[in-house]
Amino acid sequence: MRRIFVYINSLLFCLTVITTSAQKKKQIVMPPDSTKWMNGFTVHADLGALAIPSLSNNVLYSMEGGLQLDLKHKIFPTIELGLAGANKVTPDNSVFKTNGLFERIGVDFNLRKKKPDSKPTNNLFIAGVRLGTSHFSYNVTNVAVTDEYWGGSQILNFTNQATTKVWYEFVVGVQVEVIKNFYMGWTIRNKNLISQDTPGKVAPWYIPGFGQNNGANWGFNYTLGYHFWPQKKQLKNTKVSSVQEIKNQINKK
Amino acid sequence: MKKAIFILLIFLSLLNVSCVTDDTCTQTRYVKLTAGFYHVNYNDTTKVYSISSLSFDSLTVRGVKLNPSTNQYLLVDSILYNNSKNRLSSINLPLNNVAPQSKFKINFNAVIDTLTIYHSNINDYLSLECGCIITHAIDSAKITNHYIDSVRIINHDVNTLNAENIRLYK
Repeated sequence: MRRIFVYINSLLFCLTVITTSAQKKKQIVMPPDSTKWMNGFTVHADLGALAIPSLSNNVLYSMEGGLQLDLKHKIFPTIELGLAGANKVTPDNSVFKTNGLFERIGVDFNLRKKKPDSKPTNNLFIAGVRLGTSHFSYNVTNVAVTDEYWGGSQILNFTNQATTKVWYEFVVGVQVEVIKNFYMGWTIRNKNLISQDTPGKVAPWYIPGFGQNNGANWGFNYTLGYHFWPQKKQLKNTKVSSVQEIKNQINKK
Repeated sequence: MKKAIFILLIFLSLLNVSCVTDDTCTQTRYVKLTAGFYHVNYNDTTKVYSISSLSFDSLTVRGVKLNPSTNQYLLVDSILYNNSKNRLSSINLPLNNVAPQSKFKINFNAVIDTLTIYHSNINDYLSLECGCIITHAIDSAKITNHYIDSVRIINHDVNTLNAENIRLYK
């Protein structure tokens, strides 16, 4: 009997706490979001790609840039364009060579939530998706075929091979406003190939914008960008106030 | 400015990730024709033919190559099976990658048969690391009937799958 009494008491206490906290939550009133839908755009270049030739012993190169719209400082439709290529020589002296354009379209979302009474900021923690495509041609040359038993050898060349590859990417990263309207940031990407190689066809070793033809790849971008036409002073008026604060301000007046 | 330094540090740490690619070939490049030995039995009472696998204690197999300058057939230096005592019921034979026919001299103890395979050669590109292999499509096959009675094509495609391609019947 005593246990039942303690149980009921504790249950009532819990309910009281929950109700009180719910009431407290209700008292917080967010003012209407004053951020405009169209909040300018950022043009950025991938500086990380400049390190690719030295990291790959001059086998690979890549250049890319992008344009990112700022919608309500929450949604960022993005288009990225680039040029990449490879000149790979294997230990058997077979050569793979390609140069091609690639493009990616997608959208990023700002995952950083405004905390009450926090300082307004333009820094972003983003997550998004991309759909990438590249139509390119490539050569695989000097492929030696030797017959170890019967003797004899031949050199095969597969030139002017053309293909279109499509892939999707999951992107996470950060963007920080380092100087007014100048943004620096990085993204890490998980890339997954949608287009499969046709069996028997000479498959490309490298896909511009995707990387080595492995089915899945990781990518990294280190970007520097400039934000054009940002919404002026939009963030300074978004401080969150409670009902009590508003009442106090009215009483003072 | 502190934020910029922080981002730069993360970037520099990620630069340490190696971009070196692996050049080793992990795919099989072994293309051989597989020939199985069989014996055909005829039962007089039931009047039914039955086929059973045949194995040999002493088998020597060697390629025979046409010399274009003399237009004569010569034995290839390398011997594929040299008096093998492994009770072989099938043999694996490499077909010529640059010619449309491959000829083999098979010694069954003291009896010699010559097997000729007519085939087309197909370039099969695997990858940049593995290069190209030559697979074959068998057009026809014939054998001298000193020990073996007949040859039958089971699977025309000679590739890396190692399936039985021809049957030699005694």
